[in-house]
Amino acid sequence: MNRSALQPWTGVLLTLPLLLFLSGMVLWPLAMLAARAFTDPGWEALREVLAAGRYRTALLHSLALSAAAAVVSVLLSLGPAWVLARQRFPGRDLIRTAISLPLTFSGVLVGFLMVVLLGRIGAIPKVIGLLTGDERFSGAAYTFAGLFLAYLYFEVPRAVMTLEAAFRRFPRELDAAARTLGAGLLERLLRVGLPLAAPALRSTLAVTFSASMGSFGVALILSKRFTVAPLEIYTEMTGFLNHEVAGALCLVLAVLTLTADRLLTVRVR
Amino acid sequence: MRGRLARQAGIAATAVFALAMISPVVLTAAGAFSDSEWYGQRSEGAGVESTGALFRYVIEIWGRSLLRSAQMVGAVVPLALILGAPAAWAFRMRPYPGSRLLEAAALVPLGVPGVALAFSLLQTAGGAPRFWLLVVGHLAYTIPLVIKTVGNAVDTFDPRIEAAARSLGAGPLQVALRVTLPLLVPALILSSLLVFAVSWGEFNVSFLLATPLLQTFPAALYMTYTTNSFPVAAAATVIFLLPVVPALIAIQALGGEEFHRGLQA
Repeated sequence: MNRSALQPWTGVLLTLPLLLFLSGMVLWPLAMLAARAFTDPGWEALREVLAAGRYRTALLHSLALSAAAAVVSVLLSLGPAWVLARQRFPGRDLIRTAISLPLTFSGVLVGFLMVVLLGRIGAIPKVIGLLTGDERFSGAAYTFAGLFLAYLYFEVPRAVMTLEAAFRRFPRELDAAARTLGAGLLERLLRVGLPLAAPALRSTLAVTFSASMGSFGVALILSKRFTVAPLEIYTEMTGFLNHEVAGALCLVLAVLTLTADRLLTVRVR
Repeated sequence: MRGRLARQAGIAATAVFALAMISPVVLTAAGAFSDSEWYGQRSEGAGVESTGALFRYVIEIWGRSLLRSAQMVGAVVPLALILGAPAAWAFRMRPYPGSRLLEAAALVPLGVPGVALAFSLLQTAGGAPRFWLLVVGHLAYTIPLVIKTVGNAVDTFDPRIEAAARSLGAGPLQVALRVTLPLLVPALILSSLLVFAVSWGEFNVSFLLATPLLQTFPAALYMTYTTNSFPVAAAATVIFLLPVVPALIAIQALGGEEFHRGLQA
């Protein structure tokens, strides 16, 4: 055996700062958040959050919006991700950079872009007005559809990048083998492509879903009546100073997101 | 013949897709340079008449947040590397009982909404200096990127190189500094860029944790979107994008795959 096998302490030493940081600054605060539910006021707040009413509605809105945005963004991203992964052509890096640009945008910026496109004097209503003489979709940014479009806008780059990375690792030979054995396009897609892609699709759904569940800035800019859980947490925290309810909402949101993340992500190592 | 046509159609569709993604950004940024009536009046007085004056005005009102973001990035990038990179190497090369658990724990924040982490930090460490609390929030979401990027690089190592250096008489420190570190330089550069891009755009944690004087530039964007005229908002957006675009191009050139996990909108 080499000498390094005799030095497990090097590993402990090198990971010690990370261990201290994580346990003190991430795991401990989160554990405290969970522990709060076992106190009387914490339990009361948790029941209030889960009972029918504004908080539960906000949680359900977040769930529905995130699930829908995750599924639709994956469907939209399959084609571009495949082309970027499997084709070589001039300008490919430029296209990939353009698609990945919104990854760095905070939600408020995405919300603002949606206002520029579909706000009260948005670009799309103007263009439609010029073409047909009738301005339509003005103010659509502030509706549920506008919020959904904004979610899609920041999910699509995540989906394209995750799927592309997976598609690049696909073995090309399998498809060729299936073709030689006489399988048609549909059969190859269903019986070769889909089983191969399933883990990638699941982890893409996990990435997009959890990003949406935490999304806060988009709703901060766009939400008029339609509220989502992170926005509700912010309001309770800073507006009403209702820390028990804010904490309970945080806990439920974190549990939902982490659970979905666990269920969807396939750990490969 | 048919295959080639399908291939070209796919590429064309992808190009259109990219154009659709980028056009709202271009449309918005153009508002800082255009006098078009559609972008609205430059209603904040003589201060924003010309494009140069407009940018000076934005720096004047949001300069402090710009500085805060720069300080934040300046603290977060080195700290994320110091905490993440040695650990990533150790997880692969010096695993010990429980190290897998620690690695999994380091990825937990990626599944925790920023508002929830920010809230729980405030509850347990609200008395800590706020600047450092913000740094902690940013670190929680950027360390996973470092661990994954450096970890991927270590996976491609030939373990025999380090062993060879040892058998030639190099001490552990010498191996670390003269063999391992040089091999990791590309991954460290890529990590820094990823951490920079995520930290620069982070809003959720920063906005909730910051005191008024500590607001970062994305928080300033929020203020400017809700209070200023369009040209001012557009100019602020351009300033936000200025460092992001070159960073992104460099990340693409270095093959940054873990980027998509970085940020919650």
